[in-house]
Amino acid sequence: MSDLDRAIAQLRACRPIPEAQVRELCHKARELLIEEGNVVTVTAPVTICGDIHGQFHDLMELFRVGGDVPDTNYLFMGDFVDRGFYSLESFLLLLCLKVRYPDRMTLIRGNHESRQITTVYGFYDECLRKYGSANVWRYCCEVFDYLALGAIVLGASNTLEPSKRPVGPNESSTQEYINPDTEIEVLNSEGGLISSIPRQKPKVFTSKGSSPAKTGPPGTGASSFSKGTAGNSSGAVLCVHGGLSPLVDTVDKIRLLDRKQEVPHEGAMCDLLWSDPDEIDGWGLSPRGAGFLFGADIVKTFNHNNDLSLIARAHQLVMEGFKEMFDNSIVTVWSAPNYCYRCGNVAAILELSEDGSGDGIIARSNGDVNRSDGGIMKEKEKVLLNGPARRYRVFQAAPQDSRGMPAKKPVADYFL
Amino acid sequence: MSYGSVATAVTARVRATFEMLAPDSLMIYQAAGKLAITFAEDRSGPESSTDILAASLQRGCSAVPNTRIHLEFQDMSAQQIPNLLTLRGGPRSRGGRARGRGRGGPHSGNPELQAQLQKDRDVQSTDTDAAVSRLSAVDLGYLHDPFASLFVNGPGTRRLPIINRGTYTRTTALDILINAFLSHPDSTPTVPQTKQIISLGAGTDTRYFKLRAQNKHRHIIYHEFDFVSVSITKERIMKNNGLLWEDEGEAFFKALETVPGFGEHESEWGLERSKDGITETTYCFHPLDLRHLLKTSKPVRGLRTDVPTLIVSECCLCYLEVETSREVVKWFTSRIPSIGLILYEPIGLDDSFGQMMVSNLAARNITMPSLEAYKTLPDQKARLAQLGFTSEGGGQEAETVEQIWEKWISIPEKERVDALEGLDEVEEWQMLARHYAIAWGWRGTTGWEGLATLRA
Repeated sequence: MSDLDRAIAQLRACRPIPEAQVRELCHKARELLIEEGNVVTVTAPVTICGDIHGQFHDLMELFRVGGDVPDTNYLFMGDFVDRGFYSLESFLLLLCLKVRYPDRMTLIRGNHESRQITTVYGFYDECLRKYGSANVWRYCCEVFDYLALGAIVLGASNTLEPSKRPVGPNESSTQEYINPDTEIEVLNSEGGLISSIPRQKPKVFTSKGSSPAKTGPPGTGASSFSKGTAGNSSGAVLCVHGGLSPLVDTVDKIRLLDRKQEVPHEGAMCDLLWSDPDEIDGWGLSPRGAGFLFGADIVKTFNHNNDLSLIARAHQLVMEGFKEMFDNSIVTVWSAPNYCYRCGNVAAILELSEDGSGDGIIARSNGDVNRSDGGIMKEKEKVLLNGPARRYRVFQAAPQDSRGMPAKKPVADYFL
Repeated sequence: MSYGSVATAVTARVRATFEMLAPDSLMIYQAAGKLAITFAEDRSGPESSTDILAASLQRGCSAVPNTRIHLEFQDMSAQQIPNLLTLRGGPRSRGGRARGRGRGGPHSGNPELQAQLQKDRDVQSTDTDAAVSRLSAVDLGYLHDPFASLFVNGPGTRRLPIINRGTYTRTTALDILINAFLSHPDSTPTVPQTKQIISLGAGTDTRYFKLRAQNKHRHIIYHEFDFVSVSITKERIMKNNGLLWEDEGEAFFKALETVPGFGEHESEWGLERSKDGITETTYCFHPLDLRHLLKTSKPVRGLRTDVPTLIVSECCLCYLEVETSREVVKWFTSRIPSIGLILYEPIGLDDSFGQMMVSNLAARNITMPSLEAYKTLPDQKARLAQLGFTSEGGGQEAETVEQIWEKWISIPEKERVDALEGLDEVEEWQMLARHYAIAWGWRGTTGWEGLATLRA
């Protein structure tokens, strides 16, 4: 067993590794990450995850639901640290897995992977508490600076693969009735089917995008579902922690940023990590004090110009674990169940399956405007690219007794 | 003790910085100016005058503008600052700290009573939460409260930004409402109307000390009600730090009494003012379980029934059974014609956040019967109407903390508060703040002008 495997085993048990080992790990991780571009290319199949926020036991639950590394190819969209009690163990475990299985683990940067934010939201204090000095925090922050800003998923299939996860005794298996027309499938943590949405006819949008009706399928609790997208053309999926920036109109512009620094207070890099989609036209001021709000028109134009079918992002708590917006052109994935041990939300991960048939999404570079028109695009209307088939696995917080916390310890603050 | 010897004796244990102090807090700045000058000349130890100032503020040094500075430095070591956690007879306390409640008392064999007493202690522990949150908000500059650190053991715990913002909003909302009650219309004659405040479950609330520090206490009668253990702690901290100095005509009092069946001494304490042969209570802490208020025939010391009176329940009545809380309010409203009530408590049981709140609190052995009974703002308003705060000669309003932050805090103030830490968790803030309500009602003809004009 190598040192790395030993460290992984120790961290899986939620026990921190020695400071010297952290230092070495962070050094190795940096060497690895420095080779990655600002936008990492990932090939499907991949499981996309949102915020973790130091909820270690829920991360273990995520691996149980989504499959273990390296069997499952993971993409985490940042915010590994802060808020929860186990930021250190969570981040170091993910980092160990990244170093151990670099091709099966993609980590991109969230707005909490920052010196300034971690001193306010808990990670700094946690390192100080667990090691007695800020050294480990410093090592981790140096890694943060090297994390990629986004990822492009290529080769995702238009149809779902049968679920590979085991199905509980009382659950219906998706494998029995997997439908090639299924665009969205929602499964519970045991693999049982919650809902399934068939692919719709191609949609056309003009300058103003309509938002989907807020009627989720029964049982999902999902509130902002829309009908699936359809069509023949296909596109890639951009993954980024926050969202878009008015300074970034092509994916290639992200590639040109100098990312190896603390997250700035403004500018393209800041926006990518801080912005949020909202039901507005164009751009708006963010209530977070950093980044921007952006509307459906912004997303659809960006997706069209960059051959994207979907933007996957995290950053915002959604009670149902995921939320597709703007005619399925963008989705928020949230992977911290019962956030802060207080919010009562469920979490989700997004699985994109591999395109084995050859008629799915074609891998190509992104950023060239109008390359994939194929004669479809007309002057004032754009056909939305065909979204990949999406399987959401929804899960709840790990059972209380697995947390290993003292029973009397208050788990959440209230105003009393 | 000369100032110089104070300078060498005090080792400031809190690094509260000068800049954190309120620019609008005249009293403190004048005290600061005086102290700074004094110590700048007489500095013999390693401490800077800022440290001394911080230390003196820690100890609740109070000053009357342009007159004299009250310094009380009897006990210098930081260890002597009482720790609420160890004093309150909670699960962690040792020895005789449980103050006789249940322990060795006549009912100590009764498991039901034991459970109830434990529950009472768990409810009391919520005051520690509030005190720690308040100190966090003060240390970070959200709020100005020179007394906050006195009621927390050690340097305190930094709370997360949403908690600090919530503490700020709640405190500010209460300030606005109480100031509106205390305000006088322009037509007021030269002698201001005396007003009375009754704080239920006051805990370690510092509001009265702040009112005195701002010299606003002259026409206020202030009552605080809480458990015996809270009373003992608060009295000790008050004494050790000289928080209730005797203003002109004022004298400290403490009454001792044995309560039959409990074998303990519940002792009211506070200040009385004698003027022209008439003695009236200006401040009184009543060590009394509110549930006993309904049973006792003993008069509540110093309670006036002829002046406009505001009852404040900051997360207090919500812990009582619904019927009991109603009876407590009616106990006062049946005696005092001109009366108002401010309630601050959680609402919104019906969603997953609310459900999680109930189960998290239950894990701390805390239940809030009010949550079941009053789930929404209209429920809270209906409750106030039912308590007699009706639109005939009065009124009732309710608002969530989320909306109070949005509507009551000015834009420059919001910008100031936002700049202190930054608030990333917008969705969580909205969800959290939506689950707390402030409701207020009043009835009576005079003294309610300020409150009646405030709208939700």
